[in-house]
Amino acid sequence: MIKFNIAQWRAWAPGLMSVEEWRQWSHEPVIPAPTDAAPDVSFLPAMQRRRLSRLARMAFSVGWPLAEGLERLPLVFVSRHGETPRTFDILSDLANDEPLSPTQFSLSVHNAVIGLWSILRGETSEMTALACAGDGLEHGVVEAASLLEEGAPAVLLVITEEQPPAAYAPWIDDVPFPYALGLLLTPGDEWQLSLTTRERVETNSDRSQWPHALNLLRALSTQQSALQHPWKNRLWNWQHNR
Amino acid sequence: MSDLHQDIKQLIIDALGLEDISTHDIGNDQTLFGEGLGLDSVDALELGLAIQKRYGIKIDADAKDTRNHFTSVDSLAAFVSARQVA
Repeated sequence: MIKFNIAQWRAWAPGLMSVEEWRQWSHEPVIPAPTDAAPDVSFLPAMQRRRLSRLARMAFSVGWPLAEGLERLPLVFVSRHGETPRTFDILSDLANDEPLSPTQFSLSVHNAVIGLWSILRGETSEMTALACAGDGLEHGVVEAASLLEEGAPAVLLVITEEQPPAAYAPWIDDVPFPYALGLLLTPGDEWQLSLTTRERVETNSDRSQWPHALNLLRALSTQQSALQHPWKNRLWNWQHNR
Repeated sequence: MSDLHQDIKQLIIDALGLEDISTHDIGNDQTLFGEGLGLDSVDALELGLAIQKRYGIKIDADAKDTRNHFTSVDSLAAFVSARQVA
């Protein structure tokens, strides 16, 4: 079992950004209308933000305010599917015998976002990019907790998923809409996370209704104190102690 | 300004995602890389690719004078004109 505090959080999805908007969504969660809209990252100079995809903009928009005023802040970046629109563009060019865009290629790798974060913030602390199964949130928390255990005063955890291109629809069924959640984790015992193992479950029928990061967001917005997140043979138990 | 100059400026803006800049903001003899417009090495690769696609010409990345061709819009226009005739 690991213990930690969630000092602050930020989240973004189409039409959802403020605490109040997320509170309303948490009480009556629905899938926002599809849009190409990306969050505002005008805090970055134009020459620096021009290459950022929506995935990168989502990560920056939730992470940047949480990192405000903190120096040497380790970052754990979690995305199961990553830059699927860039990957799809590159594969399409390959299929058509077209030359590949150097920009698309260099920014399609999974650690591109943390690389940009490091460059744009001048941050040289530990940074990790994880691609896990549907319980990437929990694996990210475990990674962040180990950094806290090593003595980091705070760790930034960003979980984000981009809406995959339609061609991926038969294989990717766990991204109802693009979203990003940023958590500023600090040492403490307000939250407990434990893992129990169960019989391997092959069906998807007992998944949580929303991706784990959004489910946690609902709990944070509605003062819910316990959460269970099943994924395959793993059952994650969240407990908020007050 | 020739049509080719105008065309190359628009290509630079589109290929490199310079959303806040218009063709009037780029001078014909303005330095494109480093100082001046402030483009970087990834932009150089991306622009090289865009020019090859747009004008159907080959650029040898290792040739000594390639760097000179990418100095400004003027030099790019001269390079493209020469290659298209050749």
